[in-house]
Amino acid sequence: MARQRAKASRRQHSPRTKSGSAALPAALTVSDAERFLFAEARLLDERRFDEWESLFSEDGSYWVPIDPAKEPGQGISIISDDRKRLHERVFRLTQTPVLDQNPPSRTMRLVSNVEVEADGAGQARLRCRQLITEVRPGGLGQAGLNVVRVFPASCEYRLRRDGARWKIVRKKVVLLDSDQPHYNLSFIP
Amino acid sequence: MAVTERTQSYADLVADDPREFRVHGSVYTDAEVFGSEMDRIYERTWVYAGHESELPAAGDYKTVLVGTQPVVLSRHEDGKIYALYNRCRHRGAVVCRQERGHSNFFRCRYHNWVYANNGDLIGMSQSTGYPDDFDRGAYGLVPVSRMANYRGLFFISLSDHGPTFDEHIGPARKYIDAWLGRSPVEQIELLLPPHRYEYPGNWKLQAENGYDGYHGNYVHLSWQRVLQLSKESTVEEVQRYRQEGAARGLLNGHGLLERPGSLNPASSWTARMMDRYPEYAEAMRAKYAETQLIDLSARRNIFIFPNLYLFDTHLRVIVPKAVNRTEVQLYVYALHGVPDAINDGRIRGHERFYGPAGFGAPDDIEVFTEVQTGAQARGNEWNLFSRGQHRERVENGERVGHTTDETPQRSLYRQWRLEMSRP
Repeated sequence: MARQRAKASRRQHSPRTKSGSAALPAALTVSDAERFLFAEARLLDERRFDEWESLFSEDGSYWVPIDPAKEPGQGISIISDDRKRLHERVFRLTQTPVLDQNPPSRTMRLVSNVEVEADGAGQARLRCRQLITEVRPGGLGQAGLNVVRVFPASCEYRLRRDGARWKIVRKKVVLLDSDQPHYNLSFIP
Repeated sequence: MAVTERTQSYADLVADDPREFRVHGSVYTDAEVFGSEMDRIYERTWVYAGHESELPAAGDYKTVLVGTQPVVLSRHEDGKIYALYNRCRHRGAVVCRQERGHSNFFRCRYHNWVYANNGDLIGMSQSTGYPDDFDRGAYGLVPVSRMANYRGLFFISLSDHGPTFDEHIGPARKYIDAWLGRSPVEQIELLLPPHRYEYPGNWKLQAENGYDGYHGNYVHLSWQRVLQLSKESTVEEVQRYRQEGAARGLLNGHGLLERPGSLNPASSWTARMMDRYPEYAEAMRAKYAETQLIDLSARRNIFIFPNLYLFDTHLRVIVPKAVNRTEVQLYVYALHGVPDAINDGRIRGHERFYGPAGFGAPDDIEVFTEVQTGAQARGNEWNLFSRGQHRERVENGERVGHTTDETPQRSLYRQWRLEMSRP
């Protein structure tokens, strides 16, 4: 933690050689970051998947590793979406007759422990913890439904400024039990 | 006697009627049936336990459950893999708790008894508490009754009795060979860690589904739409493909779903890869005659009774945990002797469909939970597995059905019935 802060502070005080412009907003503040993360969580909780997808940059990726010590693309992951596959994921959820999201998940995401690490001009790296809670309601006695499940996760975001908005270049979600068996994670963890 | 009655009633849970093969719903819901399955199937017959690439070096180990029993697979410094019951000979604690790892010995944490990687007892704390002639040689970790290595696949039997491994695997052998043959050096390497799912349903629901050629158009319509979106194939093309090939029921409970082999890049994956990567084509043509190439290019989902599937991208291991709780492990593997790009494509393709957030597998799992719930309803207590009974034929001891027929499932339940009826 101390190491991260030191790194962040070093970056903040280094001269902005790349942009050379003081007009560019300073690095994201924690409250800016929280606003961004809360809004993202709400889009997912409200199942506004198309709008969520539009938060990603054209080269954006979404990664839910099994082993977070590996690099993306090394071995297999729970989710390892490039931008095209992310679009397929959203298309599948919103436009096709899925079984695994019928009935759909209700989710509620609690976002906390937000940290911001400046990552050069117009870029930022965020860390946060999320407690993702989920339930699929259904009839009495239906196996797999009606149970609230809890997914604690450690998340990292890389953001890039795109005009007036920040875009997600990479979202990494490490579930606390990422290497354990899971039932149905099709709701977008 | 009660035992005899019970033996009789297990056999009655599968109605092998020549026109109307049925399975009683209690095979999915009755905890007593599950307990007997663990005794009679998982702790007696040949069960898949691991692949040699998971334990490349001396000291590597992996823990597994065989039925309900904890077992350690361990590679000793003599280079051999040992399968040992995970239970200290003193007061019975496990000697290994990790899923996998590397260690020079196994140490029981309770009273510090230490075992070598082959199970030999090599250390006892405060050993003066035992007489001088205490026979350490008799107190090693107990090896399982029987173990077999077929082309790197390790199988365990916890019983001294019953068919030999060669007898057990015989009917599936040529299909396993062809499956492995897509590597021109006939070697695979598991990529760890695996995908893991757990679902609130019985283990046989996964067994029945992996070679089910009937459900795809309905359960995976969503997947077909994704393929259409990416302009890979239209829904109609996929549905036509699902009519091709055969469903095979083999002896000893094995079975498979097969799509026809071909050297035409438009109709088989292997031919497509050979077309795209000349070095792969060269290696394959150097090793195999044309008829062999056609055979091994057939895409097959091969079930090895009772807990293993061989798929084109992964080994699938079924781990029963309770009558209504099952874990499934998908070990994606790299083919050796092929260009990296081929394996990369296989891995990324696997991730797209499989895993707990894939575009296909969670739809299957969803249906398993629906069967599990439905099986509680007793208005009709039987599930029907008769599809294609009137049209299947017997060839070389195999039953061969239309690709959408329940021929392999009948093979599974015939073996289930046999094992569950043994004294």
